Amino acid sequence: MSSFFGFNVAVKGLFTAQRNMDVINHNINNVNTPGYSRQVAIQSASNPMSLFNGTGMLGTGSEVLAIERIRDEYLDYKYWSENVSYGEWSAKKALLADMEVTFNEPSDSGFNAVINDFYNSLQELAKDPSNDAIRALVKEQGVTFARYFNNIASHFEELQFDINNQIKTVVTDINSLGAQIAQLNKQIYTAELDGNTANDLRDKRTLLIDELSKLVNIDVNEVVVGKLPNGKDDKRMVITISGKAFVDNFDVNKLDIKQRANKLNKDEDIPNLYEVVWEDGNSLSIRGGELKGLIDVRDGNDGENGSPQYKGIPYYIRKLNEFVRTFAKAFNEGIVGSDKVAGHVDGYGTNGNTGIRFFTMLGTENKSISSADFMASGDIDAAYEMLTAKNFAVSSDILDNPRNIATSDTLNEVGNIGNINSILIMRNNVHMFKEGAPEDFMKSIITTLAIDSQQSIRLSSIHRNMIEQVENQRMSDSGVSLDEEVASLVKHYQAYSAAAQMINTMSEVYDILINRVGL
Amino acid sequence: MRITNNMIVNNMINNIGKNLARMDKYQQMLATGKKITVPSDDPVVAARALKLRTDVAQIEQYKTNVEDALSWLEITESAITNVGDILQRARELAVQASSGTATEEDTKKIRQEVEQLKNQLIKLSNSTYAGRYVFSGFKTDTKLMDDNGFFNINVNNSEAIIFQIGISDSINVNVTGGDLFNGGAAAGAGTKGKLISDFDDYINALDLGDHSQISDAIAKIDENLNHVLRIRADIGARYNRLELTADRLDIDCLNFTKLMSENEDVDQAENILLLKTEENVYRASLSGGARIIQTSLVDFLK
Repeated sequence: MSSFFGFNVAVKGLFTAQRNMDVINHNINNVNTPGYSRQVAIQSASNPMSLFNGTGMLGTGSEVLAIERIRDEYLDYKYWSENVSYGEWSAKKALLADMEVTFNEPSDSGFNAVINDFYNSLQELAKDPSNDAIRALVKEQGVTFARYFNNIASHFEELQFDINNQIKTVVTDINSLGAQIAQLNKQIYTAELDGNTANDLRDKRTLLIDELSKLVNIDVNEVVVGKLPNGKDDKRMVITISGKAFVDNFDVNKLDIKQRANKLNKDEDIPNLYEVVWEDGNSLSIRGGELKGLIDVRDGNDGENGSPQYKGIPYYIRKLNEFVRTFAKAFNEGIVGSDKVAGHVDGYGTNGNTGIRFFTMLGTENKSISSADFMASGDIDAAYEMLTAKNFAVSSDILDNPRNIATSDTLNEVGNIGNINSILIMRNNVHMFKEGAPEDFMKSIITTLAIDSQQSIRLSSIHRNMIEQVENQRMSDSGVSLDEEVASLVKHYQAYSAAAQMINTMSEVYDILINRVGL
Repeated sequence: MRITNNMIVNNMINNIGKNLARMDKYQQMLATGKKITVPSDDPVVAARALKLRTDVAQIEQYKTNVEDALSWLEITESAITNVGDILQRARELAVQASSGTATEEDTKKIRQEVEQLKNQLIKLSNSTYAGRYVFSGFKTDTKLMDDNGFFNINVNNSEAIIFQIGISDSINVNVTGGDLFNGGAAAGAGTKGKLISDFDDYINALDLGDHSQISDAIAKIDENLNHVLRIRADIGARYNRLELTADRLDIDCLNFTKLMSENEDVDQAENILLLKTEENVYRASLSGGARIIQTSLVDFLK
């Protein structure tokens, strides 16, 4: 036994206390670092020495075996799976809120106000059909009515365009996150080859996966592929999206966007929307995350044309198109379902003209086309199929001369209001749509959107709460507690002082032994 | 459960955020006076609000339609009353002329007055409402009669001007020229109405001084008077119906406006109370939070 054994043990005590204080220092430093897991020094008594004379084992002090991070990885998996749903519903929530505002209901300037003003002007005209001022008013209210649909359709198209760009950005983000994760996988693998745990690198990787899980549906696995030379498991991290590997240890299979050659929703979509595919050309179905939220709202046509089973922008455009087609057909032709009543074409204006349609569509240069051009094909159904919410307009015949508004059902009878009365009565015809009268139809569109929007608000808040819950558990487990660290600092500081005192004592012991004994 | 400093901070931020969101909602309700600002706040209230707004707008339009119908009928009725008065006066004169005591001079004066009455009738047949000829059927831009009492236009008795005064409720506001001036038959362009030709016969009889013909004229005037009375009674009935409809629409309008308010307006007293409560919770959580996050063990180590 070395004469300086006591010194050595005391020095070990100093080292152990110091290492502990280093770890505490690191923890305190990172108290506010996102994704950081607190670390602890695993301390144990060092190997004892057996004494020759059979008096037993003599302790040799302490040592720090490892620095571990405190992390419950089960909570990470839980967080990721919740975050996928949260990402999807919070994206939908934001987009549906935008769409809802477009309809501007309930207010004094929404659909209700527009249709009320239009019909009220027609009522006034019915009472005074020869009055040119009221005819001009009807024309203007008709234009406002048509513009209401043009505006909503344009706004929806812009929104679809914006979402398309957002999809592109999200795909870029996903790829960038994937590349960073693959890079970290490499660093972690190298660092852990000698049996260490790369605490801080693993924290960083978890944080990146947290971000990725919000964007797209992922499954994360650490697969054991063999044994390392030091006897530990050789683990590879694999992240899959819808079953195909996205990050495979050090490699990334990137996602890509490709412009669609053919529109998914022929009548509703704007051209050249992006399809999200694998870079190697394989197709991909997105099942969650912000990306799914964006795609559902951009493409969702309630399952029509193979679109997502969600009521997104194409669904509402389709419904608005259906509205203007059915409404214009009833107003112009008097065709309600299979019934035929007197419509605008059947009546006579104060200038004796007949056969004129009140509503047609915008042609080239966004100018209204005339009734005759609109019906050039001669096929009523085909003509109204051309009509959309975007091009719905008052015909140029009416715009050019409001006397063409057909109030009378007989030629040259200015006071005759038989025709306009027939048109007015149609407003309350509950057979015009399967949802009922025109206002019932619009009400049902707005209510559908309201209910979907409410659902997205609720679901996103539920998932938000669950994430907060998991996040709380994670912080409870892995977060740095300053009280704890400071208490522990005091503890190790005192251990350090005591070890230093031990060296002093030992020094005095040797002083006595060497300097005073045997003189 | 182990509690860490950041958990406390995060929970505090989350909770204060939720407090603020609730306060914002009550504040918005206070400012707008409405329970909802977008349909998703409450789709049921929103759907009902849309329906009620339409109902109120339609009722208000029907109310102005009823008012216009009433004015149209008033013009018509006053014209018809005048026609009745003229017939009454013509009858009185006829009775005078047919009595044996009337001198030739008297008959001449009577003839002059009857001629005037006839002209007045022609004028009345061209009464207007806001520039439109009320007895011309659908040809409201054309006079019913020319100055000589011939019909300018064909007016069929089916030319009824119908105003919408409710959903699937309408009323005929006009009396056709033929009905009033041609004894109920359609008016034909270029022909003379029965009422005017009866006056012509009457004037003719006065010219001839033929008592029996004047007596015939009295009979015809009586017949015409009865006819005018029938039309007046009909107009009176329509007028009554319109007044009842106006009352009903007023009540409907009141009811629907009340429903609309109940549906979407905020109970401000309750709302202010909730806002105050929320404000207190907010203050409490702020002061509590401030106290908790400031202290740690570090503060107590020297």
